Amino acid sequence: MAAPCSRMANRPLWQFITNVRRTGLKHTGVRQISLSSACRAATQTRSKTEGVASPWKLYGAVCLQRLPVISQERNPIEDQFAELMHQMELERSLLSDHEQRLLEDSERMTRKQADNYDSDEEEADYGGQETITAQDQEDSWEQKLKHFQPALRDRGRSGTPLGSVERCLGDSLVLLVQQTVGKETIWLLPQAQWEAGETLRQTAERGLNSLPEADFKATFLGNTPCGVYRYKFPKEVQTECCVGAKVFFFKAFLSAGSASQKEPFLWVKKTELQGYLKPPYLEKVDRFILNL
Amino acid sequence: MIDCLSSIPLQASFALHSRVLDQAGLLFRLAFSNERQYRTMPTHGIGKYKHLLPKEAPKKKKERQQMKQIKTATDAEYGTLNVKVSGYDMILVEHYSQYIHNLCNRLGVKVAESYALPTKSTEVMVMPEQGTKMYVDAILKTHERIVQLSQLNATLCPTFMEVLLKNQPEGIQLSVKLHTEADYQARFKARPELEGLMAQMT
Repeated sequence: MAAPCSRMANRPLWQFITNVRRTGLKHTGVRQISLSSACRAATQTRSKTEGVASPWKLYGAVCLQRLPVISQERNPIEDQFAELMHQMELERSLLSDHEQRLLEDSERMTRKQADNYDSDEEEADYGGQETITAQDQEDSWEQKLKHFQPALRDRGRSGTPLGSVERCLGDSLVLLVQQTVGKETIWLLPQAQWEAGETLRQTAERGLNSLPEADFKATFLGNTPCGVYRYKFPKEVQTECCVGAKVFFFKAFLSAGSASQKEPFLWVKKTELQGYLKPPYLEKVDRFILNL
Repeated sequence: MIDCLSSIPLQASFALHSRVLDQAGLLFRLAFSNERQYRTMPTHGIGKYKHLLPKEAPKKKKERQQMKQIKTATDAEYGTLNVKVSGYDMILVEHYSQYIHNLCNRLGVKVAESYALPTKSTEVMVMPEQGTKMYVDAILKTHERIVQLSQLNATLCPTFMEVLLKNQPEGIQLSVKLHTEADYQARFKARPELEGLMAQMT
């Protein structure tokens, strides 16, 4: 089961400040591939430069993950190995208190049933019989165990919709939304455009909060982005001040939240991302999503 | 002559082994190992090395345990963090804390300390439907282990936390907090007689 963990002290460790002149143009069309390595932004502190605009539009995106709720199923090999280890440990182990008590009680019973039983001698040794023997205790415990009904492993029916948070409880899922970028409606990680005066992490939070009809409580892990995706606009949209866009991804974990099923949300595993994201985008996103 | 030659390596090796012997111990050594000081011989004093070592300060008694300095956070790194792992199953708790420690070693995060807090026993009392008296059903023991990290890089932090969270076993609670002096003092046992005497003094 996913156990709760408390948030670390939120400290603004660095401020990522650049000035970008906002244009009224919307970016359109097909993204062109441009390779760039994941930006270690925390180590750079850019100073505020008045009047010099960078030709890149900045976006903050959030990679919201839902941690697995139950443990994963084991492989057959893992199963066998676990059995073997269990058997070995059992054979090497010593008797516990309870087991010793059981043995003593059974011995005492056999001695009682023998012909030459001397109850005075017994009681002198053992100082009075106990009212509840170990065997009785074990029986009562077994009774209680029978009453206990463990919950089903996969609560979901086999046809759990992709938009539900409760699918695939054993894996970690990533949130995808459908947004219009330029002329197309595509699936991507929720993002928002950066505005002057806020950190990129706040942009990512805003992007998450602004999702319609969704109410996700996310815990961001740090101020540093985990990945970056840079693309240039097609030639007809490019101007001097607006060459392309850079999307900075932040990682967050879902702590609480719900969304209605109608909205275009998707919770997908890492292996299923391929079916929804565009290849260049997927390449960058794949790098920072761990498949654990 | 041959005796002299053969005794030299003996003497040298003996001198190497007997570090704790000082000048008074020289006689002790001579008395028990048949070594003679051939003071007129040029090889007298061969093997002496104590005079070459730097002077040691006289050994003082073990000082009272002082708290290690709690580091504060800088712009690029977090200060002293306490990663607390707690749960009912001791095997899982131990293994998970060992995993965290090894992960830190591999990733280059400095581990300041790694200790265990005392086990807390919780008694589960059950009240039957008919009677009013509660009886003890089970005793649950909560084990806690703490791994103290000193300089966690801010860029490494989200990945580190993610790996920790994704590898968390069932039934284990993970909590990451800043280390405070109160945490340090809580590890020590209370000394009631000392406190009583202090109260009497004031």
